[in-house]
Amino acid sequence: MSAVESRPAGRRGGLVAGHRMRVWAGVIVCLLFLVPLGWMLLTSFKEQRDIFTVPPTFFFDPTIAHYFDVLTRGGFAGQMLNTVIVAVGASVLSLIAGAMAGYALSRLKIKGAGVIGALILASRGVPPIALAVPMFLVARALGITDTHITLILAYCSFVIPYVMWLMRGFFLALPKELEESAMIDGCSRMGAFFRIIVPISVPGLLSTFIFSIILAWEELLFALVLTNRTATTFPVAIAGMAGDTENGANWGELAAAGMITVIPVVILALLVQKWLIRGLAEGATKG
Amino acid sequence: MSVDTNVQTRTRRRRHAAMRDIASRWSFMAPASLLLVAVLAYPLIYTLQISFSDFDLASFSPSEWVGTENYEDALADENFGNSLVVTGIYLVLALPLQIVLGFGIAFLLNAEWRGRGLFRALFLIPMVVAPVVSGGIWKIMLDPLWGVVTWFLGLFGIPAIDWFGDAGMAMISIVLIDTWRSVPFVVLIASAAMLALPKDVFEAASVDGANWWHTLKSISLPMLAPIIAATFVVRWLGAVKMFDVVVATTNGGPGQATNVVNLYIYRQAFQLLEFSTSSAMAVIVLVITMVLTFIFLWGSKKLEDNL
Repeated sequence: MSAVESRPAGRRGGLVAGHRMRVWAGVIVCLLFLVPLGWMLLTSFKEQRDIFTVPPTFFFDPTIAHYFDVLTRGGFAGQMLNTVIVAVGASVLSLIAGAMAGYALSRLKIKGAGVIGALILASRGVPPIALAVPMFLVARALGITDTHITLILAYCSFVIPYVMWLMRGFFLALPKELEESAMIDGCSRMGAFFRIIVPISVPGLLSTFIFSIILAWEELLFALVLTNRTATTFPVAIAGMAGDTENGANWGELAAAGMITVIPVVILALLVQKWLIRGLAEGATKG
Repeated sequence: MSVDTNVQTRTRRRRHAAMRDIASRWSFMAPASLLLVAVLAYPLIYTLQISFSDFDLASFSPSEWVGTENYEDALADENFGNSLVVTGIYLVLALPLQIVLGFGIAFLLNAEWRGRGLFRALFLIPMVVAPVVSGGIWKIMLDPLWGVVTWFLGLFGIPAIDWFGDAGMAMISIVLIDTWRSVPFVVLIASAAMLALPKDVFEAASVDGANWWHTLKSISLPMLAPIIAATFVVRWLGAVKMFDVVVATTNGGPGQATNVVNLYIYRQAFQLLEFSTSSAMAVIVLVITMVLTFIFLWGSKKLEDNL
C-alpha cells in the first residue's frame, strides 16, 4: 500500500527535477546562440591590439573608432542608405500589390485561385540565379543598372509572393460581414477594401511589411548583379570586407559594420515579435 | 414585340453587370500579376530562350537557336556536376540537423516558466542577421590563430582546426554557420506548433505510465509530423538558395569543396560571361528544385492524410 502511494510522489519529484533541467538547458542553448552576436559586439569596440590576442581579451578599454571609420570612410554609410531605400521601396510596392492580390485570393472567389496559389508556392522554388541573367541583360539594355528602382523591382520577384501568401491567410481569418455591410452601403469592392478592410488589418499589414523589409534587407545575389557603385547595398560591402583576404585583419571594422546592419532589423523584429512568430508559423504551415 | 426587346436589354444589362463584377474582382489581382509577369515570368522565359541560343557578346543578346547544345555543354562540365554534388552534400547535412535541433530546442524552450517569452523572443535575433554578416562573424570566431573558438577548444586540449582551409572542415563550417542562422526559425515554428498540441492527451499518457520515449514516439512525433514536414519544405526552399554564406567565407574553396551550384552559375555568367551555358545550368537547377519541391509537398500531403 505504501509503495503504491509513494510512487506518484516519486514521479512528481522526478518531473520537477526534469522540468528544472529542461528550463536550464533551454536557457543555456539560447545563450549559446547569442554568443556570436555578443562576440561581434565586443570585437566592434576593441582596439586592434585587443582583437589579436591569445587568450582573447574580455575586458578592455572600449573604442568607437571602428564605428567612426566605417561610417565616415568608404561608402558604407551610403550603402546603408541604399539598403534602406531599396528595402522600404520593395516592401511598400509589394505590400500594396500583394495585399490586394491576397485579398482577392482569400475573399473574391476568383476562378483559378487554387492554381494561382500553387503558382505562388512554386515561385518560392525558383532559384534567384535563374532570374539574374535576364534581369541584368534587360536592365543593361534599358540603361537602368545600378539604380534603386531596378533593385526594388528585382526584389518584388520574391517579396510579392511572400506578402500574397501571408496576407491571404490573414484575410481568411477576418469576419465576412465587414465588407458585405460596406457594399450594401454603396461602397464598391475597391472602396470597401481600402475603407473597411485595410484599417482593421493594420497589425497584419505592419508585420508583413516588417517581414518584407527583413527579406529584402539581407539580399546579396541581385545586389551583386544589378548594382556596381551608386545603388550598392550593404550585403555587397560586407561580403567584400569578409572575403578580403589580403587585408583580412580588419575585423574591428567588419564587426562594427555588421552591428550597424543588425541593430535596425533586430529592433523591428522585437517590436512585432508576437506577429512575427505567428506569421512565421502560418507561412510555414499553410505554405 | 416590346416585351422581347425588354428581355433582351435586361439580359444584356445583366451580362454587362456580370462582366463588371468579374472585372472588379480581377482588378485586385492586376498590380501583383503585372509586377510578377515583369520580374518573374518574363525573366524565366528569357532564361529559357538564352539557354537554347548562342549568345552574342557584341550586342549582349541571344542570337541563333542552337537546340540543346548548351545543355550538353552544361552536363559535360565536370565542375558543374561537382557543384551539384557539393550542394547536395550541404543539404543532406544541414536540413536534418536543423530540423532535429530546432524541434529539440523548441521542446526545451517550451518548459513552462516565467522567462519563456523572453527567451523565445531572443531566438528571433540570430534569425534576422543577414547571411553575409553571419559569415563575417563566424570567420572572426573560427580563425585558426586568433579565433575565440580556437582558444576555447584549446582549453580542452583540442588543437587548432583549419575551419575554412580544409575541404571537409570548410563544408562543416558552412553547415555550422547556416545552422546557427536557420535553427532559430525552426525553433519558433516548432514551439508555436508544440504549444498548440492538446494537453489532455499527454496527461492521459502520463496517467497510463508512459515514459518520455513512448510519449515522444507515439504521441508527439505523429501529432507534429505535418508541421515537421512543412518546416522541412520551407527550410529546403531557403537552403537550396545557399549563396551568401559561402561568398562571405570560403568563396567556394578550398579548391571546389564548397562551390555550391548558385555560386558556380553566378561565376559562369558574370565573371566568365558564359551566359548561354549558365542559363542552361540555371534551368537544370530550376527543374531539379521544382521536381524535388513537388515530391516533398506531395510527401507531406500524403503524411498528413495518413494521420
